[in-house]
Amino acid sequence: MKDSLVITIPSHPKFLSVTRAVTGRIGELYEFAEETIEEIKLAVDEACANVIKHAYKGDTSKKIVLKYSVTRDAFTVIIEDSGITARKGMIKGRNLDDVRPGGLGVHFIKKVFDTFQFDKRKGKGNRLTLIRHMQIKI
Amino acid sequence: MKIMINDYKGKTVVIISGDIDMYSSPDLREQLMVFIGKKTAFLSVDFTMVSYIDSSGIATFVEGLKCMKAYGGRLQFFGIPQGILEIFRFSKLDNVFEMYGTIEDAVNS
Repeated sequence: MKDSLVITIPSHPKFLSVTRAVTGRIGELYEFAEETIEEIKLAVDEACANVIKHAYKGDTSKKIVLKYSVTRDAFTVIIEDSGITARKGMIKGRNLDDVRPGGLGVHFIKKVFDTFQFDKRKGKGNRLTLIRHMQIKI
Repeated sequence: MKIMINDYKGKTVVIISGDIDMYSSPDLREQLMVFIGKKTAFLSVDFTMVSYIDSSGIATFVEGLKCMKAYGGRLQFFGIPQGILEIFRFSKLDNVFEMYGTIEDAVNS
């Protein structure tokens, strides 16, 4: 069994609060632990912020599509954009011993989700799949 | 996010409420830079009413801290809710900042 939900948000930072609210509500619906809800809210927020910053270079007129799916053993979020395709070298967490602004987002996402995978088959833009394996009441 | 400035025992207190994210952190940065521009010696940030912080918020404070350290200033945090503290720990930057339980602890440090 699988439940799914799709939302589209404009690529403006003010809508990041909407993604957090939706992500958090999904977590509540499926009775995720409070700590897990906070973690996935942060990670999805960071992934969307990266789309705005890197794929769209701050262009607020674009779209970001978030596809959530919940199964008995996994929570999945697929984030799609039509911006600049991410290259492998661009996407890496940073050395946390190096105290400087920036670069924390990917570190957060990879800490929260078991899978962090860009779909190389996507033509224009990016499709990032985030999967967290967990037991879910569905 | 809202920012209020207060004075407590001669030290500047930045009271933040709401979410610190990619949308609001530029406003926070602008406010911090006003004080840093004046070489404010002590800045205490009240986190009591902060509901969320992301990497852009943490990065803003890291930048502020570095600027303040350059002239011998101190950036202090107090009243950090557990959820926000977890995000700082997640970033492994929690030991970089001066964190206190209360405003008294901060100003008396």
